[in-house]
Amino acid sequence: MAKKITAGQTFVLISMGLLFIIVLFPFLWLILSTFKVDADIVKYPPTLFGLQYTISSYIKVWDSIPLLDFLKNTVIFAGSVTIISVLFDSMAGYAFARFSFKGKKIIFTFVLITMMIPFQVLMIPLFIEVFKLGILNTYSGLILPRMADAFGIFLMRSAFVSLPKELEEAARVDGYNEFQIFFKIMLPLSKPAIITLGIINLMGNWNDLLYPLMLTSSTKMRTISAGLALFVGQRTLEYGPTLAAALIALIPLIIVYIFAQKYFIQGIATTGLKS
Amino acid sequence: MPKSLKSIQDFFNKPKGAAYLFILPAVLTLLVFVIVPLVYAVVISFQNLTIFLAPPKLVGLANFTRLLQDDRFWNALKNTFYFLLEVPIQVIMGLLVAVFLSKNTVFRKFARTVFFIPTICSLTAIGIVWSFLLDAQIGILPYYLTQIGLPQMQFLSDPNLAMPTIILTTVWKNFGLTMMILIGGIQSVPITYYEASEIDGASPITQFFRITLPLLVPSLGFCIITNTIGSLQVFDQIYVMTQGGPLHSTETLVMYIYNVGFSTQPFDLSYASAIAVILFILIIVISLLTNNYLTRRETVDISEG
Repeated sequence: MAKKITAGQTFVLISMGLLFIIVLFPFLWLILSTFKVDADIVKYPPTLFGLQYTISSYIKVWDSIPLLDFLKNTVIFAGSVTIISVLFDSMAGYAFARFSFKGKKIIFTFVLITMMIPFQVLMIPLFIEVFKLGILNTYSGLILPRMADAFGIFLMRSAFVSLPKELEEAARVDGYNEFQIFFKIMLPLSKPAIITLGIINLMGNWNDLLYPLMLTSSTKMRTISAGLALFVGQRTLEYGPTLAAALIALIPLIIVYIFAQKYFIQGIATTGLKS
Repeated sequence: MPKSLKSIQDFFNKPKGAAYLFILPAVLTLLVFVIVPLVYAVVISFQNLTIFLAPPKLVGLANFTRLLQDDRFWNALKNTFYFLLEVPIQVIMGLLVAVFLSKNTVFRKFARTVFFIPTICSLTAIGIVWSFLLDAQIGILPYYLTQIGLPQMQFLSDPNLAMPTIILTTVWKNFGLTMMILIGGIQSVPITYYEASEIDGASPITQFFRITLPLLVPSLGFCIITNTIGSLQVFDQIYVMTQGGPLHSTETLVMYIYNVGFSTQPFDLSYASAIAVILFILIIVISLLTNNYLTRRETVDISEG
């Protein structure tokens, strides 16, 4: 009996070790390859390690694709969407959680219904709408449609529902108006939910491909995902710089992940799948 | 005039009035950028609109009848369902790993952190890396496989292998997410259940099937549903790795919508919209079929706050 358990444990240990290698191998290969010369990347038989290492890929990548523009666009797009949508979602979630008002039930149902609609259904009409508004291929065109989303409203509503009722009553007695109560008392108290939602939105928008691909048309306006995907599709780029650009696209979120792991995991566990 | 301004101010300073100001920006956004496009999507699918936006004509059900005779549409529908194989593979793998790693030891926590990394990565960047790793000429993985005696495999350029390859790389990317959700589920099982069953002499395997699995059903259901809906919308990894090829063997519905509307002449937005409407109906039907699970989950979320 005792022997059987050890065999089982050995099996678990070996399979976890294998999985560990399978998960990390692509990252290891990517990091090493960004420092290889192109001849080492394309040689046959391929090897994990190169014969010589260089940082030339990291120098070339800035000239061969407008990576700086891509990064700037991604920061502006993902950053603005995150900040604005967290604010608007919190405000709406707060109203649905703490106020009673006429039409509340109907409006909230309407919000929940929008959560069920996949982006793919909206993308063609949205593309036309954004074009007709004259904001296709601009930051406004990328940011405006994402200023609020049902999931965020839902998440923030859950956060505000759990706060004690006495809070705003006491504040009203002290002469605070509703906006002061929200911004000075309620918002700071729901920091964990705000960070979680912020991370979900930042990650979703930073990594998003189809949406920025549709709503931008010039190379200068592409986000990092859309720009990279297009350049790889054209197959004009050298291998080293392509991989360096891919790694550069990954690094910011990995850094955020390292520092805010708890919120990432919380957030993702609550969303299930957003993509 | 100042008096009426004052009364407006008073109205919005009361909770009832303030509520409308609080919901206004979000509701307006959803109205303009979700509801309007949704209605418009249906309208377009009955027209003959192209990307050049010449005044469209109503064509009735023409786009939908065209779908019925379009082999590429049926192929895309078939591929979309083929891709759904990703769901059971990923959920079973996520479940196994979750069971092995559910205890909070330093080693296990570290392993979880590592297994979760692919989840946060952009599919574009990851897709690029996998296309290199799997490339028929320079890929290191096909080479390793020939070293252990297997034939040289053309993972992404063989029509029979391309879809399984896309599925496996997606599993690689997403199983960490399922693992995290299920670990949350496993950890909320009261420890006394296990202690009691241990006294009764239950083996770890019996415990898994008799205690863990039944209590995990809600979390598992949630993973399966969200994953299925997500899988029906697969796009990024296919766009980067195969663009729907070879021979349309990885062209799913969303990829086909994109190809029809945005990447090939005559950029037929109406026809693409008709496909999108079909996809929408498919997702709604699947959501409704599994509605029970979702509503249960939502009520849990609200009460937990």
